Amino acid sequence: MLDLAVNSREAAICALHASLAQSPAVKDAPQFLHGLLERAMLAPVCIALDVALPHARTDAVERAVIGVARVAAPGVGFDAEHPAVRLIFMVGTPKPQVEEYLLTVAAITRTLKAPGVHDGLLAAKSEAEFTALLARGAKR
Amino acid sequence: MSTTVPATTTELLQRLQRLLRWRLWIREKIQLTEWQVTLLWAALAGFLGAMASMIFSVLAEGVHEFMTGRTSGVVESMRQLPWWGCLLVPTLGGAAAGLVLLYGSRLTRSESSTDYMEAIVIGNGRVPVRSSLVKTTAALFSIGSGGSIGREGPMVQISSVVASLVGRWRNFTGPQLRLLVACGASAGIASAYNAPIAGSFFVAEIILGTIAMESLGPLAVSAVVATLTIRVLTAAQVLYKVPPFQLNSPWEMGPYVLLGLLAGGLAPVFLRSLKQAEEFFISLRLPLVARLALGGLLVGVIAINVPEVCGNGYTVVVDILNGRLLWTVLLGIFACKWLATMSSFGSGAPGGVFTPSLFMGASLGYLFGIGVHRIWPAAAVDPGAFALVGMGAFLSAASRAPVMAVIMLFEMTLSYDIILPLMLCNVIAYYTAKGVAGESLYSASLRRKAAAEPAATLAAARVSDLIRADPPTIPPGAHFAEIAEKFLSVRVNNLYVCEADGKFLGAVSLHDIKPYLGQLDLAELVIARDIMREDFPRIGPDQSLSEALGRFLGLTSERLPVVGPETGRLMGSLAKGDLLLALVEKRRRPAA
Repeated sequence: MLDLAVNSREAAICALHASLAQSPAVKDAPQFLHGLLERAMLAPVCIALDVALPHARTDAVERAVIGVARVAAPGVGFDAEHPAVRLIFMVGTPKPQVEEYLLTVAAITRTLKAPGVHDGLLAAKSEAEFTALLARGAKR
Repeated sequence: MSTTVPATTTELLQRLQRLLRWRLWIREKIQLTEWQVTLLWAALAGFLGAMASMIFSVLAEGVHEFMTGRTSGVVESMRQLPWWGCLLVPTLGGAAAGLVLLYGSRLTRSESSTDYMEAIVIGNGRVPVRSSLVKTTAALFSIGSGGSIGREGPMVQISSVVASLVGRWRNFTGPQLRLLVACGASAGIASAYNAPIAGSFFVAEIILGTIAMESLGPLAVSAVVATLTIRVLTAAQVLYKVPPFQLNSPWEMGPYVLLGLLAGGLAPVFLRSLKQAEEFFISLRLPLVARLALGGLLVGVIAINVPEVCGNGYTVVVDILNGRLLWTVLLGIFACKWLATMSSFGSGAPGGVFTPSLFMGASLGYLFGIGVHRIWPAAAVDPGAFALVGMGAFLSAASRAPVMAVIMLFEMTLSYDIILPLMLCNVIAYYTAKGVAGESLYSASLRRKAAAEPAATLAAARVSDLIRADPPTIPPGAHFAEIAEKFLSVRVNNLYVCEADGKFLGAVSLHDIKPYLGQLDLAELVIARDIMREDFPRIGPDQSLSEALGRFLGLTSERLPVVGPETGRLMGSLAKGDLLLALVEKRRRPAA
């Protein structure tokens, strides 16, 4: 999702969740959403000033699911220290899969560290360009 | 990628993260498992046990020198004393031992009389200090004055006390404490006989009733350390130097079979006679001091003509093994030593009957060998070999520990040539003794004690009996960096995640997080709740030990959290080592 127009953390999570809920891997969408919101309230989910990674290990998904969205400028506030988040990576993994969860989260942070990926994602003109950049970053 | 943190700070954080990862990696690689830690404690018990045994030996020799004015061995000293000296020294020694026990009992009124075997098999591993010291001090007088009794008993007791004290100081659980006391006993035997393998097997076979590695490993370490300590500090060597023996003909195995039957039949009689002597002395209703003095006096009366009866019989056994005694003389010594041991043991003189048993076996074997040699020389070429085998057979029958007896004989003599008849004879003696009398001296005593103290005989039957308090925990909101730091500070592979009220939520595994320790971005993002395993196996305090064992099956973890079934709160943890030891003990305990 590109240039999501939302004005709160909850709205951003709900919007991306609504898109992700279409995946057949999501068995129980409300429970998944509840898990995401509960986790976001428990401790910060941002990994950079403008990048958030709302996540949940929940029985509501059958396998790991990942959703990505770019919020329209100037971004959305996730907490006091992250008032303008532009990139959101949503992760859901089944409860028993601790290793997969850590693997996914670590892979996302590594992808974003790849040279040009972070800025490129913010500047991407289309979903195809956005996806290609992510794929390139993941390969590195 | 963070835009607010200066590059130098980022580099510093990355270095710190790398350092953390290295520290955790190194700690994991060199981290001692619970069993390895147990081995270290066993080694300490071995060292301290050897020191305690050595101090006891020195003190016993000091008492002997003080009472006889001679520095030679017990038998030699008694040989040099005038007749009245032979009467006076053991009598005074018995009286002194009685006085120590009498006045010592005032100090030990609040303590049980538990000895190390009871503490291991039917007790909680707490060997009472004061009563043990009193008994050991009394033993110094009974042994130093020439009583016909072994010094290994007090040496093992004092060695076990030291181990028990160490375990109590470190707040060991019941099974751990019992194992450490067993290590102390193993060190005591190893120190007394310069025999580390026999020391381990004595405790494993006689006391624990198992040679499972969970217990035998620590026992062996303790015995080895004790033996090394003794060898370094006293230059001790092989206990019995014997001439080389060999099996000259397969026909010799026939007489060895007969010797096994003979030793197996006689050992229970010997043990029963000691028990009857004890009952006889008690029936005299003499005051304690007078009773022990009388026991000493009887030994003295015999020693006037047969000084060889004094002490544990070590020097006489050496003479027998080297063929330096005439069989007619030995026959007299054998009968007198039996009577003298009945007097010492029966009167209540503190000490052991382990070495006197070796004496009885050596005498029996030698006399039997001489007899066979007279009738059929080819079947008993060297009667000394029969003495050696007889020692093992008698010990096997008396202690009901044939494996230990074989090993001990081998270690004490380092004579491998005799191993075939020794093994055969020991096994035959063992089964014969078992058929003649159902119980060994040790098992009968333990069964009586178990019947007298039914509460103490209850083996740990529930998980709650084995709980270790205060396992390391983290709150669900603990960040990744905090979790890594916690793993560095405590020696566990799983950290339990608990709410503030103690409610157990799950566990974070070191195995799970290890590959990601270098990920700086995870340090603040990931919290314990994200990575804890909610399905981590747990156990209730009221569950049985076999259920607990079932939970450990297929699990690499060395510990399980114990969680209250109603409250859901973490009560402690259950260590697999404690569980295995408790199961072994449960199988071994005598029925009351």
